Amino acid sequence: MTVTDPVLEARELAKRYRRGVWALGGIDLALPAGGITALVGPNAAGKSTLIKTWVGFEKPTRGSVRVAGIDPWKDRSGALAKLGYVPQSPALYDGLSVEDHLDLARQLRPGFDRDYARNRLAQLDIPADRGARDLSGGQQAQVALALALGTRAPILLLDEPLASLDPLARREFLHVLTDAVRGDGATALLSSHIVTDVEQSCDRLIVLGVGKVLLNESVAAALESHAISLTDRPDAVATFAAPDGSRIWLVRGDGDRAATLDEVVLGYLASGRPSLASTPAA
Amino acid sequence: MGALTWARLSFRQQRWELILVVIGVAAVAAAMLYFATTLDGMRAASPECLANLDTFVDDGSGPAASCQAVLNSYYEAYNWGTNFVNLAWLAPFGMGVILGAPLVAREIDGGTAQLAWSLSRSRVGWLLRRIAFVTLFGLGLLAVVTVMSGLLTGAMFPEKTLGEDFIYFGRRDLPVVARGFGALMVGVLVGAIVGRVLPAILLSVLVIGLVFTGLSFAHDQWNRGEARVQRFYDDSGTSIPFDMSGLDVGYGLQRPNGEFLSYGDAYASGILIETYQDEQGRVYASMADMDAGRLVGHDARSSIPGERYPDLVLRDSGVAVLVGVVALGLTAVVVRRRRPR
Repeated sequence: MTVTDPVLEARELAKRYRRGVWALGGIDLALPAGGITALVGPNAAGKSTLIKTWVGFEKPTRGSVRVAGIDPWKDRSGALAKLGYVPQSPALYDGLSVEDHLDLARQLRPGFDRDYARNRLAQLDIPADRGARDLSGGQQAQVALALALGTRAPILLLDEPLASLDPLARREFLHVLTDAVRGDGATALLSSHIVTDVEQSCDRLIVLGVGKVLLNESVAAALESHAISLTDRPDAVATFAAPDGSRIWLVRGDGDRAATLDEVVLGYLASGRPSLASTPAA
Repeated sequence: MGALTWARLSFRQQRWELILVVIGVAAVAAAMLYFATTLDGMRAASPECLANLDTFVDDGSGPAASCQAVLNSYYEAYNWGTNFVNLAWLAPFGMGVILGAPLVAREIDGGTAQLAWSLSRSRVGWLLRRIAFVTLFGLGLLAVVTVMSGLLTGAMFPEKTLGEDFIYFGRRDLPVVARGFGALMVGVLVGAIVGRVLPAILLSVLVIGLVFTGLSFAHDQWNRGEARVQRFYDDSGTSIPFDMSGLDVGYGLQRPNGEFLSYGDAYASGILIETYQDEQGRVYASMADMDAGRLVGHDARSSIPGERYPDLVLRDSGVAVLVGVVALGLTAVVVRRRRPR
């Protein structure tokens, strides 16, 4: 594996659950090393499923995934060694304190950097002796993040860790994540359906529609290459309603004004799900 | 240091179940100790009433009037002792339900399996470590139960050599601990499959019950093959001393060809429709047969002699441990394959 090889890959990845629902419909994805990538999409787009296949929690129905070149279903141990994972709801052990969680992580993961994780939590004034059940949602998310960061894994997968946090806690979480990833040179994939939160923290954007990758490029390139047209354009990616109720068109190339990241995401989601095109934005 | 840390963390992850079990075992063990010392004390205080009690009861001479109150107290304590020894039979299954079923189920139900399975590079390694402390803890408690049960049995039957006697077989010694291991692992397996705490607990009651009922039937079949047939009377009509230390496998007939046939089988096969028995234990199918001396067989007992007790303890314990090992292996397969939530 070379430095230019993707650290996270999905090839023709399809996942169908037992009830016959397809969560992923054969996606191809390659994530380069370094930086934070936002995986954005509506509920049921398959974000969690995608992340869980990399962690080895979900087995692909078709296709394959690789973590640093390793198939987690063939070499789970090897793949997990490269990964730090923050689950969707930071499920911590009720009966354990913060410090206990760090001890637990050190017992489970060889090389877990307890001091590093402890220092990160100390900077946030999260008491080490406090029970997990007594922590706020934001603090629990921070503990889950510290546990993932303490693995010192080169790849971090964060499955909607911001979903239940208030705006201040979200900002604090992203600050810690950005700081750690930039400092360690790690690669992070952060799934979210809140675009404004990830706009300032993420270097790259993947928009996942219902089981499909709709956009996969750097945030800078996405903003630079898209614009908003106020009139109908045949080459438009999609049309959707602006906050004032007027219709706008997302286009690649020049338009009437620059597009915001929110509009880029909304446009691609609308293109992947036509019903969105006629739904006024909230 | 690592083992101590892990023990502390394991305890905290399951503290309420462990505390509940400790309280239960402490109460039962204390009660067993109390009744054992009570019975010993009563015998020491009233040897004239309670010495050689087995002979005293067997010969039918009846207690001296002055001993009646002592005997009443003694048998009250004895009956309580029997109840507590029976709890030693139930305790392993309780361990399986209370400690085993929630162990993995709670990790899946509460979502902590996602954390643990992403941190640990091997789920099987995680599983083994996760169950190690609880298993040692639970088996340690069962060891206390079995020691106390042995003590109480010794106090209830001071005339018996417990190492060569099937009295309260399965309620003392190694089988209690071995069945605890088996039940614990079956409970863990049910929890890993179900992945929800309450349904796992409820289902584990059923599954553990079924598994060990099945084992009990298997043991019964096995015992039949190993049992020795003992007639109650010899050919001259003399009563043959009863081996009180043996494990009864069944009562029935010893046919003239030496074969043992339970009364149930004799009726089911039509060999017997009615039973006519003389005072020497000879069994006939009718009055006419009795008059003609055409006997169906001799009244007999099929049992395993007491000196085989150590063999059967090892055999039954080995089977229970084997069940536990198989359940553990299946749990490892389930944990390796299943999604955390």
